[in-house]
Amino acid sequence: MDKTIKLIGNAHLDPIWLWRWQEGCAEVLQTFRSALDRLKEYNDFVFTCSSAAYYKWVEEIDPQMFEEIRTMVKKGRWVPMGGWWVQPDCNMPSGESFARQALYSQLYYNEKFGITCKTGYNVDSFGHNAMLPQLLRKGGMDFYVFQRPGKHENSEIPENLFWWDSADGSRVLTYHIPDGYGTNGIEALNRRIDDTEERAEKAGHGLMLFYGVGNHGGGPTRGDIEYLRENLEREGYNDLEFDSPDGYFEDILNELIDLPSWNDELQHHASGCYSATSLVKALNRKAENVLAAAEKWDTLSSIITDSKPSTKEFEKAWQKVCFNQFHDIMCGCSIMEAYEDAKESEGYAMNIANESYNNAVLRISRKIDTWLEGVSDPVFEERHYAEFMPKQFPRPVVVFNPHSYEVELPVRTYHPSKAVTDCDGNEVLFQNVRSSRSNDNHLDTLFMAKVPPFGYATYWLELDSEVKADKELSGEQNFFMENEFMSVELDSETGYIKSLVDKKSGVEYAGDNFLAIPTVINDDKTDTWAHMVFKFHEIKGLMELQNIERVENGALRSVIRTKHKFGDSYLTQEFILAKGQKTLRVDCKAMWQENFTMLKFAFPVGGDKEISTYEIPCGFVKRPCNGEEEPALNWADLTVNKDGKRVGLSIMSDSKYSYDCPGAELRLTALRNVIFADHYSDRPAADFNFTDEGLNRFSYGIYLHEGEADTSDVVKEAHLFNNNIVTVPESYHKGELQQKDCFLYTNLDNVVVTALKRCEDGSGDLIVRLYETKGIESSRGYFMSKLFDNGFWYDIGKHEIKTFRIDRETNVTEVNFLEGIVK
Amino acid sequence: MAEAIKLYPQLTRVISHFKKYDIEVPKSLLEVKPQKPDLSDVKYPLPLRKKDYCCFCETAGGVMWYGGKGGVTRYNPASESLTDVVMHFAARRDLLDNNVSSIVPDDKDGVWVLTDNGATHIDMVLMTMEEKSYRLLEETLTYVQRHSMVSQKKLSEAGNLKSILPYGHSDNDGSFSAAYAMGEIFRYATLKRELGDLADETIEARRVAMRASEATLMLMYVSGRGDGFVARTYLTKDEPVPDDGLFYKKNGATATCLNTTDARNKKIVGLEVKADAPIPERLRKLYTCDGYEDTDIIYKGDTSSDEITHQYMHLLVAHEFLGREDPEYDELLKTAAVNTTTHMIKNNFALREAHGGYTTWAKWNLEYFNTPMGWADACLNAGQMLMYLRVTMHLTGEKGIWQETYDELLEKGYADLTVKHYDRFNQVCVQGGIDFREDIMYGDHMLAVLSLWGLITLEPDEALKEKFRTAFRSWRGSLAPEFNPGYDFPYFLSDPDNAKPAPERIRTWFYRFAVSRLASNVSLDMRRDYPKKLFKGGYEETSALLPNDERFIAKYDRNPLEYKNEDSGGVFCVESCYPYTFAYWLGRYFRFIEEGKN
Repeated sequence: MDKTIKLIGNAHLDPIWLWRWQEGCAEVLQTFRSALDRLKEYNDFVFTCSSAAYYKWVEEIDPQMFEEIRTMVKKGRWVPMGGWWVQPDCNMPSGESFARQALYSQLYYNEKFGITCKTGYNVDSFGHNAMLPQLLRKGGMDFYVFQRPGKHENSEIPENLFWWDSADGSRVLTYHIPDGYGTNGIEALNRRIDDTEERAEKAGHGLMLFYGVGNHGGGPTRGDIEYLRENLEREGYNDLEFDSPDGYFEDILNELIDLPSWNDELQHHASGCYSATSLVKALNRKAENVLAAAEKWDTLSSIITDSKPSTKEFEKAWQKVCFNQFHDIMCGCSIMEAYEDAKESEGYAMNIANESYNNAVLRISRKIDTWLEGVSDPVFEERHYAEFMPKQFPRPVVVFNPHSYEVELPVRTYHPSKAVTDCDGNEVLFQNVRSSRSNDNHLDTLFMAKVPPFGYATYWLELDSEVKADKELSGEQNFFMENEFMSVELDSETGYIKSLVDKKSGVEYAGDNFLAIPTVINDDKTDTWAHMVFKFHEIKGLMELQNIERVENGALRSVIRTKHKFGDSYLTQEFILAKGQKTLRVDCKAMWQENFTMLKFAFPVGGDKEISTYEIPCGFVKRPCNGEEEPALNWADLTVNKDGKRVGLSIMSDSKYSYDCPGAELRLTALRNVIFADHYSDRPAADFNFTDEGLNRFSYGIYLHEGEADTSDVVKEAHLFNNNIVTVPESYHKGELQQKDCFLYTNLDNVVVTALKRCEDGSGDLIVRLYETKGIESSRGYFMSKLFDNGFWYDIGKHEIKTFRIDRETNVTEVNFLEGIVK
Repeated sequence: MAEAIKLYPQLTRVISHFKKYDIEVPKSLLEVKPQKPDLSDVKYPLPLRKKDYCCFCETAGGVMWYGGKGGVTRYNPASESLTDVVMHFAARRDLLDNNVSSIVPDDKDGVWVLTDNGATHIDMVLMTMEEKSYRLLEETLTYVQRHSMVSQKKLSEAGNLKSILPYGHSDNDGSFSAAYAMGEIFRYATLKRELGDLADETIEARRVAMRASEATLMLMYVSGRGDGFVARTYLTKDEPVPDDGLFYKKNGATATCLNTTDARNKKIVGLEVKADAPIPERLRKLYTCDGYEDTDIIYKGDTSSDEITHQYMHLLVAHEFLGREDPEYDELLKTAAVNTTTHMIKNNFALREAHGGYTTWAKWNLEYFNTPMGWADACLNAGQMLMYLRVTMHLTGEKGIWQETYDELLEKGYADLTVKHYDRFNQVCVQGGIDFREDIMYGDHMLAVLSLWGLITLEPDEALKEKFRTAFRSWRGSLAPEFNPGYDFPYFLSDPDNAKPAPERIRTWFYRFAVSRLASNVSLDMRRDYPKKLFKGGYEETSALLPNDERFIAKYDRNPLEYKNEDSGGVFCVESCYPYTFAYWLGRYFRFIEEGKN
């Protein structure tokens, strides 16, 4: 068996960490220059570097150097790796984000270098979700290199080399770096070579040794390279060889060796990173969602109205989002100033999304026939929208649904009404609710909209500025709310939930315990990452109730507001339960001043046979209820046996990624207020800034279900919770479009469409991406669409992601994330 | 499974082709003025672009039929099964050509279709799944069988059974005949249980099953080498010998290797090999009844593990259902098992050819397993050899050398190898720069099913049995997407704790299996309702599984998702019924399925 040790020359580059991006960019340029010089000096040396974003910087700033790199890539001396935009955090980005990481990067590599990266490369990322094998394979990569967690953090993960499987059956050959990606200096290299020799003997096959100055760039030094060259062949030792990970994997595959396999996630390294610096997490979630929704309607609109799609703009916007998913940015462990930059670039991305979104839906809504006979009569000429509106005529409002399933939920417009009807003239449930402004009568209209998948529906509001606020609240207050699905009662002494009943199962979730308890956790013993700390259980105290009041009790929804205090901090929560909604929404405003703390919302459900389930990109994973801090996307769930039934409680949020589950209790980690970029807690005296201090606004939701989380509607509920539908106030005009329509429909309720876009090659072909949500194989799925005047059938495996490309002749091809552009 | 899946009678397409002015063709078909259909209310994907449809008609129950450039589409939104809402009829199996110019209803549930090359009657016949099995069997017995072996027959005219060529063999006569025989044996066993020994149907089923079994077993004796060598197939003197493999003409005491390319390459043309080991008389009659003698026999060698695996599973099934009530026949089964197993043990777990070397594809030894080719094969082949030994022990009721050998192979890691199938196979694919699905050997699927099913059935040691179940699971990644009950039922029997039958898919597989085994040049290029899937290495598949009757052909050794398929005899062939009858009667016998009444 060949046990050659492959020497992987690299320069680990953090574009942002203890410095801002401008410095990172400069460091990329310097490092690349140095690497080119070394390549010219040593004809056997091979240099490798990941992250398409860095190459783009070089291309834009130093085209001449970029050409030198292209030459070296052609010769195989410089090997780009990791077909993603950066080395992102691998827990918190959405599945669609991972698709975009691959799409924009691999297309860039293909265009500029004529290559597709075969090796996924995230040597510094702090944990790796269980769906990565699929996300890598569908992004054109067969191999993966990672380092964290190390053996000291998780000893069960196979050492060295193994096959890594995701639940859909995808598999990547994975290399686990045991000892650092940036060995440099003769002494360290010598020691590392010895260690690697020993491990190769034990493993029975060749290994890789990663060398080169890193983090702030640098790369292999002359001294390192010359030392290694002197030692390429030593009697009695395995050969050393300059190569790339691609070369290593290809060689190892030629060996007839049986390797272990692993079908779980790779966790944990930095458990504090799932919650530190709420700002960047909220920005990421919001940007991901608005970009996806905007792009869907931009695409639909471009076909319906024959307008130019904003594909190029979305590319730029997604690249910003992908960049900010860099592990040290998204994990909240960079310096405070870096988040000013993140705010700006995420804002840039969201601005593109929102402008495109608005343009798209207005292009469509302007073509809807909303004309009313008599409305143009001069006597009713509209002069001012609210005050002098033509009272005899209702106002049209068009609601757009960016989801692949029908939605029925309350939507808000910023004027009061006395009646709301749908496009067929049926009365619609509505309620005038308190607005956020201080003038006029302070009321907005909230009405129940039912909108077809990838469609719109027009509603008619009889606006009336004279309507009065609901007077029902003047009597004795109680803190009980209910709808068709659940009842909830808040405790007047504590403000916590004292009763929560799922009406279908009849199960009382609160029982002997309160739920939704705002709990302050002491977090003064770790750093920003929380290195080697996996549980956060030291309770400093529970927040105490300052005030509780019922704010609304109308036909459409009820709202109860609580205000809690702890130390110098306040938390306001509005518990909102609306008709027909399966999720109890809680809008929160926290003024946080508690240093070295976490704020968790605790749900001690009780019961036994507990299983906790967490959303991961395009899937979910079950983890032991051992109280360790866990990453999750939109939701986490605790399912237990309770009152003789199998029931579950899911918590979702609009911006949070961290939970723990100590036994039969699920806790959402809402805030983590520690020092920015505090590494290993070496803290000189200083007036530090803290990650979550100040005003934090966020929302969480509570969803109850029978049976396991897998078969529940939690994925869609959480998806909907995170994606507002868009409401367009319209006027009166003739148009060729009817008042309600659906443009794309699929019949399976266990799929979610994450992308509807134009192909990146400019062909005009449509791209539809979806994934299976419940972990079940399904057949006879189909899409029907007016857009291509027909439809097509599909089968989908459990947790499978599928991407379809539809050409102008309605030929449909299943492709990967690279859209069939890169073969 | 707790409850059998009920299969109900279905409207099934039965196709007849006519010349345009044939007297059978209704005048209305020729006279009707085609009108473009209004398809705006169609709520399901249509196979063709809407603009490609040019004519339509309606049959009972509001069922719409649309014809166009690309075939005929039957649209029945009221269908209980989503699969049957849209049915498409195209290619030579259904139409003379795909360019439909007019369409009219017949007097029942079907239609007449006019295309460039003539008229076609699509008769929609209400048929039980059992009736379908008999129709398929009849076609096989009438057109496909050759010396009671069944695999496939060639046609001189595509799609025309009347143009069948009287001769022709298949490399896999042994495999396909064994699978066919097993299906017929399960039919016999089912009818015996349901109708009793003396029912006419049972007696007839036994006759057909025994004949099929004997024809299969014959291949274990026909060479006359007397060393357990198994032939791939045999011909008689009146059949042409194709230039495809190694053929030996029996002359009496010896047989001579005939002059073929393969024989020349191996330098064994004219090689004499022993051929006088006696062939049991009840098997000999399979050709003597047609007037042939031993010296009229030309058998084919270079036998592969495919044939051996099918043969051993056949030995087991034949022993259980035929041998136990026919001691003389059981003795023939046992002798065959003993001879061939001994041959393999003596020859370092391989089949040895007349030239002294191993046959190309029948090697089960570690030397082969440690070659680049054998490394991935090892997982399948290790299980096969263990199955052969278990079957031999079971048939003979003896342990002795068989158990010793079995233990020796376990010691060498054969059982451990069986569980590594997916790991090794996948590794080879990644090494080759292709996707897993691009390199699947579909012929291996039945081999894995039979060897692991046999092993798990016979293995007494629970730990080993569990290991073999794990091995079976390692094949499911490529087996399960086929939704083929012929694979799934043995798996459910072998691994009941993980059996998750999908009733709708099982029903669909039977309901939509075509009533004829004529091959058809199906191309999906015209179809817009099934996406094409592109793989890394350039291979194309359909993204979703088409119903059996809209695929090229439903076979156990072909990819059911294949986008274009014109191999395996192309369109000039008719296959045997066993893909259906094996699955159907196996399912009936083990009560996975039963007939229901509408």
